[in-house]
Amino acid sequence: MSENIVILMLGISTFLGALGLAALLWGLKTGQFDDQSKFIDGARFDNEEELRDAVMMEEKRKAQKKKKEKKDAYRPAD
Amino acid sequence: MPKVPCTHCHLEFDESVMITEPHGEETLYFCCKGCQGVYHLLESEGLDTFYDKLGDTKLQPAIQQHDDLEKFDLEGFKNKYIKTTDEGLNEIYLIIEGIHCSACVWLNEKVLHKTDGVIEATINYTNNKAKVVWDPDEIRLSKIIETIRSIGYNAYPYDPALQEERAEKTKKEYYARILVAVFGAMNIMWIAIAHYAGYFTGMEQRFKDILNVAEFILATPVLFYSGWIFFRGAYYGYKNHIVNMDTLVASGALLAYIYSIYAMISHNGEVYFDSVVMIITFVLVGKYLEVLSKKHAVDTLDSIMGSTPTEVTLVQNEEKTLVSVENVIMGDIIELKPGEKVVIDGIVTDGEGSFDESSLTGENLPVLKQKGDPVLSGSICLDSVIRYEATKDASNSLLYSIVSLLEESITKKPRIEQLADQVSGYFSAVILTLALLTFAGWWYFGGAFEQALITGISVIVIACPCALGMATPMATLVGIGMAAKHNILFKEAGYLETMAKSDLLALDKTGTITEGRPSVVNLQTFEGYDEDLLYALVSTSKHPVSEGIRRYLEKNGKPFAPIALDAIKTVQAKGVEATYEGKKLKGGNGTFMQASGIACSDDTAHTLFYFAVDGKLAARFELSDTIREGAKEAIANIQRMGIRVVMLTGDHEASAQSVADAVGIEEVHARLLPQDKAALIDAFHEEKHIVVMAGDGINDTIALARSDIAIAMGSGADVAISVSDVVLLDEKPKSLYEAYRISRRTYRAVKENLGFSLLYNTIAVPFAIAGFVNPLVAALAMSLSSLVVVGNSMRIKWLKLK
Repeated sequence: MSENIVILMLGISTFLGALGLAALLWGLKTGQFDDQSKFIDGARFDNEEELRDAVMMEEKRKAQKKKKEKKDAYRPAD
Repeated sequence: MPKVPCTHCHLEFDESVMITEPHGEETLYFCCKGCQGVYHLLESEGLDTFYDKLGDTKLQPAIQQHDDLEKFDLEGFKNKYIKTTDEGLNEIYLIIEGIHCSACVWLNEKVLHKTDGVIEATINYTNNKAKVVWDPDEIRLSKIIETIRSIGYNAYPYDPALQEERAEKTKKEYYARILVAVFGAMNIMWIAIAHYAGYFTGMEQRFKDILNVAEFILATPVLFYSGWIFFRGAYYGYKNHIVNMDTLVASGALLAYIYSIYAMISHNGEVYFDSVVMIITFVLVGKYLEVLSKKHAVDTLDSIMGSTPTEVTLVQNEEKTLVSVENVIMGDIIELKPGEKVVIDGIVTDGEGSFDESSLTGENLPVLKQKGDPVLSGSICLDSVIRYEATKDASNSLLYSIVSLLEESITKKPRIEQLADQVSGYFSAVILTLALLTFAGWWYFGGAFEQALITGISVIVIACPCALGMATPMATLVGIGMAAKHNILFKEAGYLETMAKSDLLALDKTGTITEGRPSVVNLQTFEGYDEDLLYALVSTSKHPVSEGIRRYLEKNGKPFAPIALDAIKTVQAKGVEATYEGKKLKGGNGTFMQASGIACSDDTAHTLFYFAVDGKLAARFELSDTIREGAKEAIANIQRMGIRVVMLTGDHEASAQSVADAVGIEEVHARLLPQDKAALIDAFHEEKHIVVMAGDGINDTIALARSDIAIAMGSGADVAISVSDVVLLDEKPKSLYEAYRISRRTYRAVKENLGFSLLYNTIAVPFAIAGFVNPLVAALAMSLSSLVVVGNSMRIKWLKLK
């Protein structure tokens, strides 16, 4: 058996595990685990409508940002 | 008459009292205008799928009676609660009242999402806390609150700078660190298995190197990211000249790590990366559980603090204005409405009414305040509109001075906690010194730096990580878990040790030994007694006596017919009266009856409540504050453990003595003000006692903060919970005794563990110092010694608790 196979096996499996860990940490940081019941309820209630809602909120945020940029960019002529 | 559920809130009422409304082919029923309004609002917004999601859950009727919306737009409010994000948006944390199920969460989020200007709205179902982000150019906060109220819920702000937010942050931080540690530990373990297999069957050095490097890569983030907490703790310990557990864990793990790197590069000796990761993981999990139990207690506290008013109604030239509490100055006239909490101390100038001062004095009967009487912050105005003159400003008022005192005591670590680590601290110091001496000795006499270093480090490796490092955390961990299972929350592991050492227990009377609310002990009924009528009458009042009677009726009776009373009138500190179908109902104390010309006898030690229908006495209730179940046995058991039990109370001598006699306490201190209680605790300290204090009210908090271990009752509904170190969730006096037993048992296990690891070390360390350490033997010895410690700690679970 060559070293390379062992290195490859160890490396890939650890890397895959690390990816999972990173995803978990990201979820934790963005507050996705703050409410245990919400995930379960999401499975029960969420459908197309919720998806549309989420998109709507995204757009709202974007629109607000744009508006603000416009406001900031505006300079009265001296 | 058939009962039908309200279409909105699903509570059932008689058909005759409901508002009916034809709707297509069916008829809709509503219990009140509020529910009707909400139903139509939801229907017109297309949100009526809410009711499908709701199922059979019952809601609170949507009663609207707030007129305080403008306060949300005040400048003072803004500064206190609203944060501005980097994007120029406003952010606030709200507690939403009235959430019963996930459908409620859905509805609130949905409605807020539909509101223009709201950028983000997330509600946590578990603790009902909502985070709302909005664009201040498009919508005002008062409008958002109004939206929430319009669908039948209520919202009030809470200060994210509070304890809870900090606790939440620590919890998250710990969680992330634990995830990394557990990931590292699990992976290193299977690599280590390959490693150990190699010892027995032989392994080529080139494969060993691969495994070593893999372990090194996995151990590095665990040591420096997850173990950062220990390095930090060790640094603080170093600054305060204390050798603590953190020093031991940090130095042991770091040195084992450095040694392993050396072994990895030089092919000399074995690597110990797996020990590094294991020790960090185990001790970290133990610490995390401490943080978790701390957060539990803080959660309860926040909603109480959140409901403290931030504005008061000022009366200036007959004009009423809402003013932020901070802006009130001495001499201002403040108006109080029924049910409002006093936040500023003062003297009554106009009107009279009863005040609930139970949170301050522990006395559960309301006090009548007239012109010239002082009003204390923290008390609640029960039944009438009163004006009073502020004699202090907000920051000097009683409530605030207590709150600031509490905050101080939370941030300041109790002195005894440092003692808790003393034993293991000594060991750490001894081991570190031994290792240094070994290193110096080998270098001086042997001359070889390399070998001296290896031997020195091997002393730490064989001694430190397992047995000694886990002796305390492992036992306290089991102890804390065991206590939590029996509804006793220890906020920190160290408290178990302190409590085990204590030899004096100070008990508050009201709310701790007794239940703190009057309940019926005797009842006489006469002609014309109607439970339904009485129930309707006492339900109109929030007076503790009325509530005591209501609880009694609910316990003994069947469901009550809802009766709509007319002309309900509360007479301050006397009773309530109302009419029903021409009948005159009266309920109250003796003075109230005599004033209406009804004869009644008044000779009893208990509180009396009379109920009269049309001028004739229908029932006579005797109420008293009952002693909690099992108090006597628990106190006797605690005394048998050799602990001196003392009662401290603000009540007068006679009632204090009678309770003390009933539960078997010999030492009673009565008529104590909050400061007096604290002074007594200090006096006990001077007699070299380690004091445990149990209490539940604001009046106990200063004493609680001064005692070595403070125990609060779960429903203390007070800041008392925040100063306490232990919370009894089920409020049983028996839990007090059990808390003592668990802590003593745990302390014994800690001592056994430390004793064992001392024995192990006295045998193993000399071998290491002499340079005889065979890595295989060392690994086996270490695992075995830690197994003994774990097993011994688990024995705590055998303790029989009822």
